[in-house]
Amino acid sequence: MTPAESATAAATSSSPITGKYVYCIIRNDRSREFGEIGIGGAARVYTVSHNDLAAVVSDTPIVIYDPTRENVLAHEFVNETVMREFTLIPMSFGTVFRSESDVVTLLRSTYQAFTDVLDKMQDKIEFGLKVLWDRDKVVASIERENDEIRRLKDEITRNAASSTYFARMQLGRLVEAAMEEASNRYVTDIHEQLKDVSVASRSNKVIGDRMILNAAFLVDRKDEKSFDEKVKAISLQYEELLTFKYTGPWPPYNFVNIKLKLEKAT
Amino acid sequence: MGLLTNILLAPFLGPVWASKWTLDKVDRVVREELTDDTPVKEDLMALQMQLEMGEIDDAEYVRREAEIMQRLRDVREWRERFGMSAGGGPVRVAGSDDTE
Repeated sequence: MTPAESATAAATSSSPITGKYVYCIIRNDRSREFGEIGIGGAARVYTVSHNDLAAVVSDTPIVIYDPTRENVLAHEFVNETVMREFTLIPMSFGTVFRSESDVVTLLRSTYQAFTDVLDKMQDKIEFGLKVLWDRDKVVASIERENDEIRRLKDEITRNAASSTYFARMQLGRLVEAAMEEASNRYVTDIHEQLKDVSVASRSNKVIGDRMILNAAFLVDRKDEKSFDEKVKAISLQYEELLTFKYTGPWPPYNFVNIKLKLEKAT
Repeated sequence: MGLLTNILLAPFLGPVWASKWTLDKVDRVVREELTDDTPVKEDLMALQMQLEMGEIDDAEYVRREAEIMQRLRDVREWRERFGMSAGGGPVRVAGSDDTE
């Protein structure tokens, strides 16, 4: 594929519609339809089977899908729909196979790994939790609680004219250190409180300078309600200082790690 | 031809060597920058976060998303040019031709 071709959107491409976009792998031995909800403009979503495994796919031209919001939402919406009935292994966004027989080859050659992971992920769901803080409020709370910082600050304010550059530097350093300590304390406490209602957790890189936690939690379906309530309780506890962004249930994106041996189709 | 030759001819070989070495190094750094999509993906996640937090509106999101998509395509193009694997697009199971 030439770069020029890859840049064109899927819907407008003139490539013949022979490819299969793969959303996820499930355990199911008869064919299933999931409706016209696929990527690239309401494509029909159905299964391609091999023994008791099935790939959830839709027809597509052989193109590269940009991860635009529209495309990513379509991919996620299919997985959400499938998830209502099945335990699934999500495929990464944009995975396109040239033909149905290539999809069957994938299912056959990775049969054991898929089966093992499906067993492990049976009735497990993922929740995302991002925690952001309000810097000003955290600084204010640190000043209230930390005697040394409060004293130094008072001193600087009282002697505004004569207070040294050194004292200001000292204050800045103390506040920075206290903030890092506070961030670690919050994050540890949140993880600790969610430990009993989740199976596993994974911390991802934080996004932007306000985020202190960007984590995914693997939760047993039967614990969904308890997890939910716990998150609400924690967010109430930290209401004054932290903002909680709570999403899910998702397929276990962060907990499935099958390295597929895929290569570029020629 | 050995060390002695190099030393003897140093005034002539020196600068050529040096500039070649520098070019190689620059080439490697540039190549890594051109073919790494991690910072672009991080920008995309940051943009989504800004939208979620209500810091930017939908029109702004769409505009900046288009820029980011173009950067992703550029990275993909460079990866292909350097013969590296590009994310997305048609794939097949590696080695399937051998096993069948």
